[in-house]
Amino acid sequence: MPGQRAWPVQSSGRQIRRPRASFLKRMPSSLELARLYDDHAQALFGLLLNLTRNEADTRDVLQELFVKLARQPERLNGVRDERAFLLRLAHNAAIDRLRRGATRERNYEQLAAESASAFAPAHDPDEPGFRLALAAALGELPADQRAVVHLKLWEGLTFESIAETLCLSPNTAASRYRYGLDKLRARLRPLYDEIK
Amino acid sequence: MKPDEFEQQLQRQPLRTPPEEWRREILEAANAAARARTPAFSPPGEPWWREWLWPSPRAWAGLAAAWMIILTLNTARPGTPAGVANGSPPPSREMIMALSAQRRELAELLGDAQETSPATKPAPPRPRSERQTQKTSV
Repeated sequence: MPGQRAWPVQSSGRQIRRPRASFLKRMPSSLELARLYDDHAQALFGLLLNLTRNEADTRDVLQELFVKLARQPERLNGVRDERAFLLRLAHNAAIDRLRRGATRERNYEQLAAESASAFAPAHDPDEPGFRLALAAALGELPADQRAVVHLKLWEGLTFESIAETLCLSPNTAASRYRYGLDKLRARLRPLYDEIK
Repeated sequence: MKPDEFEQQLQRQPLRTPPEEWRREILEAANAAARARTPAFSPPGEPWWREWLWPSPRAWAGLAAAWMIILTLNTARPGTPAGVANGSPPPSREMIMALSAQRRELAELLGDAQETSPATKPAPPRPRSERQTQKTSV
């Protein structure tokens, strides 16, 4: 049964004393961390990859986020919407990382078409071109617009939820989405007309 | 706001999933951080004083019990200083007489000393010029 393994045994053959239940209660459960990962890693990965445009950075930020939760499990106390809370943490961590490496980010923006795509490989012969173009077009959007577009289109959040997640007003979230979508539409119109 | 066809087309693009090996690596790092974490707060529902007793409540309880035994034995034993004072036998007649004789002698000595010693304080030194005049007169 997963999660129920034999308690480790010392080299002398004596079984190491199992920590008392009260002590275990103080530590974030590894099962709880695994559950958080399984429930939210996909969404966090998508947002982070869309923001950082780099797989190594995405992995680092994702790991930092889970390490932080393991160290401070009380941060999740009283959180109503786990997904929104984790998306906010991930967004803030990614923005911090982009600010720290502003030069690198400029390079990513320039090489958007060649950077890591957040989209799965396509099976339809028309789709790969569109997905590549979409990834490149997203890379050309400013990070704040990209985050709103991502949360609206691929997380299906309302503007109120996006505003709460990114600490914005709903109007700002809506206007960033409209600006971002207009740019994508202008950039992808020829391809979209082809595959429509 | 109802999504138009273009938005629907974008929404249909499936996102990648995180690489399989990340799960193990990230959870290992997180679990290691959790193990290294020192307990900094009492979990809800647990009394605050349990934090003080952690991590060896039995050792603390043993120490407290040892102190209780020591204090109990100490108060129950009849050889305390107060007991010694109360339980001592009355002084003998010879001792009383010797003490009174000593007291009398001391009073006499003090009385003599009071008679011989000047009651007034020693006078402050006079001016140097006056002392010189005394010398010359002698």
